[in-house]
Amino acid sequence: MTSYFAGIDIGSTMTKAVILNKGGIASIIGPTGPEQRRLANKVMEEALKKASLSFPQITYIVATGYGRINVPFSDKQFTEITCHAKGIVHLFPQARTIIDIGGQDVKGIKIDATGKIIDFVMNDKCAAGSGRFIEVIADTLEVPLDQVGERSLQSKNPSKISNICTIWAQQEVASSLSEGVAIADLLAGVHQSLADRIIRMVNRLRVEDSVIVTGGGAKNRGLIKALSEQLGHKVLVPEDPLITGALGAALMGKEIVEKARQNNTPLETKERILEEIEIL
Amino acid sequence: MIDKENNIFDTVKNYYNDYGFRAKDLKREGKKFIGYVCSFVPLEIITASGSLPFRVRGNIHEPITKGDTLLETIVCPYYRSVFDLSVKGEYDFLSGLVIPHGCDSMVRSFSAWSYGLPFSYFHFVNIPSVCDESSFEFFDAELDAFRKSLGKFTGKAITEEHLRQAIRAYNENRDKVRALYELRKADPPLISGTELTMTLTAGSSLPIEESNDLFDQVLTEVKGRGKSPLKKGPRIFIDGACLDNIELIKLVEELGGNVVADTICNGARDHFPKTDVGGDPIHALAHRYLDKINCPKTYRANRAGTFEGDIANRFGDVGTYAREFRVDGAILYVYKYCDPFGFEVPARKAYYQSLNLPLLHLEDIYSAGTISQLRTRVQAFLEMIGQ
Amino acid sequence: MAEEQKEAKPKKRMTATKAAASIGPMVKEFITGTLQAKAEGKQKVAYTFIVCHHEEIFRALDVIPVWTENFAGICGAKRDAERFLQRAESLGLSRSLCTYALCGIGFDQWREELGQMPPEAPWGGQVRPDFMISSGQILCDPRSKWYQASQQFMPDVPIYNIDLPYPLFQENRDHREALGYYHQYIVKQLRGLVAFLEEQTKKKMNYDRLRELVDLSDRTWNLIDETYKLRRAAPCPMGTGDAMNTMVPINFMMATQKAYDFFVDLKKELEEKIAKGEGEVENEKYRLMWGGGLPAWYALNDFNYFNSKGASFPVETTYRMVAPLHEMDIPETKDPIEHLAWRWLGYWTFWYDKAKKRPGSEPDVERLINWIEEYKIDGVVMHEAFSCRTWHVGLIWQLHQLAKIYKPIPVYMIGKDGQKGKVYRELPSLILESDIIDITSYSEVDTRNKIDAFVETLESIRANRAT
Repeated sequence: MTSYFAGIDIGSTMTKAVILNKGGIASIIGPTGPEQRRLANKVMEEALKKASLSFPQITYIVATGYGRINVPFSDKQFTEITCHAKGIVHLFPQARTIIDIGGQDVKGIKIDATGKIIDFVMNDKCAAGSGRFIEVIADTLEVPLDQVGERSLQSKNPSKISNICTIWAQQEVASSLSEGVAIADLLAGVHQSLADRIIRMVNRLRVEDSVIVTGGGAKNRGLIKALSEQLGHKVLVPEDPLITGALGAALMGKEIVEKARQNNTPLETKERILEEIEIL
Repeated sequence: MIDKENNIFDTVKNYYNDYGFRAKDLKREGKKFIGYVCSFVPLEIITASGSLPFRVRGNIHEPITKGDTLLETIVCPYYRSVFDLSVKGEYDFLSGLVIPHGCDSMVRSFSAWSYGLPFSYFHFVNIPSVCDESSFEFFDAELDAFRKSLGKFTGKAITEEHLRQAIRAYNENRDKVRALYELRKADPPLISGTELTMTLTAGSSLPIEESNDLFDQVLTEVKGRGKSPLKKGPRIFIDGACLDNIELIKLVEELGGNVVADTICNGARDHFPKTDVGGDPIHALAHRYLDKINCPKTYRANRAGTFEGDIANRFGDVGTYAREFRVDGAILYVYKYCDPFGFEVPARKAYYQSLNLPLLHLEDIYSAGTISQLRTRVQAFLEMIGQ
Repeated sequence: MAEEQKEAKPKKRMTATKAAASIGPMVKEFITGTLQAKAEGKQKVAYTFIVCHHEEIFRALDVIPVWTENFAGICGAKRDAERFLQRAESLGLSRSLCTYALCGIGFDQWREELGQMPPEAPWGGQVRPDFMISSGQILCDPRSKWYQASQQFMPDVPIYNIDLPYPLFQENRDHREALGYYHQYIVKQLRGLVAFLEEQTKKKMNYDRLRELVDLSDRTWNLIDETYKLRRAAPCPMGTGDAMNTMVPINFMMATQKAYDFFVDLKKELEEKIAKGEGEVENEKYRLMWGGGLPAWYALNDFNYFNSKGASFPVETTYRMVAPLHEMDIPETKDPIEHLAWRWLGYWTFWYDKAKKRPGSEPDVERLINWIEEYKIDGVVMHEAFSCRTWHVGLIWQLHQLAKIYKPIPVYMIGKDGQKGKVYRELPSLILESDIIDITSYSEVDTRNKIDAFVETLESIRANRAT
């Protein structure tokens, strides 16, 4: 019998699911809005459809991310710190420093040579240090979110954003815009400012190569460039940075199952019924 | 025998949740309660005066409102909460309040307290910031002044014999706390961290005899237990200042950790050191409160001449407890705006590294609103230890 | 590490007095002097803190004080503190702690790591000390924690910590009852310092020289008091903006002839200005008091902004760390150490007796009331620096107490002519919020909006009174 492992990562803005056996076989991403949060089961359903599997075929399922506690159909929950580390080390065995840039928070994780977590840092729940910062500014500048990174790369003269508070920075950007500063320069400045905040935090870990950036922020080339320049380290990005947490969750499940089989201990699992998640 | 229906922990919970209800009862009987904050107020002197010490607490579930109209928000968040509750009338049953020189937040807000609250007695106890011969002489005099001032207030001169009696009662209390901690040495511990902190916090709202009684009953209850209320898990040490609410400890235990030891003020810092008996009681109290209370507020000279030697000297209690209670990981829990603890974070981190003990450093603001943020950090930390 | 970015340089602040303008080069010379002394190795250099009444002891033993708060302030004023603050943060120190200390620790760690000064260190950088004198007081927690934290990066540099308490004001307690044992303690602490410095410098204290230096600073104290009282004149010849410069000789140069001479010159300059009717601002409309809080060193230009609105600052509580000695009851003593200890206690308890006589008053409030009257103040401005509890806790409460006295309703008072008259004693106040050196906490637009609104309030109160 083939074993299948599922990982579901409920982040603040996106819900991600990964199903794998020996290698990855399906992954799917859906939004996490105030409404969709309870519909994580839908994301799971889609992933199953994509993998041509039915839910009872899943051997073990691990939930992670900000909404992990509210997944009734998961067998176990792990934090996104453990899961991102697991997923990244799987993809990049040489990883020593991981920076996960999510919609609402940023995490730094330090890994030792054996792939174990030795330390981590997280920012406070303040929008200024997270993807939300870029969203707010993109909105002010009326640039679609998926274009902010590319547009910022056109800048030859990044403007200096002196405010780190999101609200103040928004005002500052708006007033610079009215003074005629180019949008690309403002975007580049905003990326540098965010990179600066992120680096201030991860510096507490003493950054070592290889540095991997993951999470939604890793899809923003402007931010990656700013991070890499300011960090003075080359930065690697997974092919699909959104799913590394869900991948790690599935891998955690796989490990648990293998360990139980090895030790001949019973595996505690939930009933395989997909149901709506209760509102947080 | 303790009736299962009427478990002693229900009583503890009652004291903890309805903090001060026993004091209010006793006040109706004519007893006088003197409130205090911080580990540095010599409770023995208050008890010797015939009045009863009562530790004023904060409440992380109560939003700070009225207090902020009188005190800056850059004050230690724990202390802000205590102040807020006080100006809202939570502790109006007290007859007086004693504030020591524990930190700048206490010193700089003393007038706001003493003019803003309706108590008839206020006293400030100055604490030297160094430990040498002259500072003990000074502290003797300062404590003697406190004794006289309190005696004047209560109308009863505090004699050496009164002091000796009080010292005995408190030493007994500390022995009982030690015994409670002994029960944490089992794996999993026989008493959970949540139960223990709740018990000690409840005790600080009671007259010393009643606190001794309560601890005895808890000891009997726990010793009679067949098994631990906790599942075996990483054994966690809590390092920090005053944690007079159980939320963090509860969170660690909900997530599968076992809290087994600490340095916190309403834990080992306050309750372990005993007062020497036999000599001059004021001098013995000065020695206990200045030297034996290991708080970062007191500057300890670097006698080793090396950094490693210095931290081993300053934080040696942590290492001793870590070995004694077979600790797997530590949480250094520091309040934002806390200068005494805040400046020690790099050195403490280095010390934990020297012990090879994984450490989670948390900076928090004394509010229930941060629990969800703490949850991810604590869970990730426990996962990290369990790798 | 990424390339460090510096903030744009602030515009040069205008000073009203020549004396204040001469301060910048003086500080620079002082900083380079410490570097030179260290290089020559003839004199010991020591980190230490201001307001410890120990300058005389330092100078009598030829120890050069390195005022670490000063260096952090310079980094702030040059808008170049951020990179040092970030270093400190990367060590695990919270940004909510004293930013002077964070800046200093970040700088020290960097200098020790490099084995030389960090790149483009402000004014050549802060010298590696031979030893550090910290002070636990009843004043400032970071003072006994800062050097201890720095020592992690230079474990071979010894620390000596002196304790200098004073009795806290308690309404129901006569502080005189406690002065005896406080004095005894401080004397012993200062003698301990002498012994430590003697050991470090391999010199013996010359008590005659110490007595001369104590006498010199006593005379300087009185001279400063006389000089600053000249600012009562209308228009006011020198404001708080300038006083944030002239704080340098008061706090960093005490017990030197240079400091004394500086105030001789300043006094002369102020007398000349008064004679000519020259004010800090050309057309003085409002007289404000800087009633609490250390300044935002990177934004001293805000004083010029106040001035541009016709507002002058004749007096400030900040850095006026002297009081007239003849108004203190200091016991006669031949022993300069004993005298220092009495002076210390005299300074901190200066307002106690007066405060006790006025119901609801308290020393800090009493000082505000006295100076509001003496300097004819129209409004109080305070600054709340988030990172410093020492000077910034209690300010709201002080204003609260003040408002009980200065009410926005008419009060009937007997005037000088013996007639009862209606007096409006409303006294508006403004609290600015940012930090001493952390510029990320500061918004110029926001600050100036607040100042504008405050000046409008002053204006409308005056208009109301006139009708």
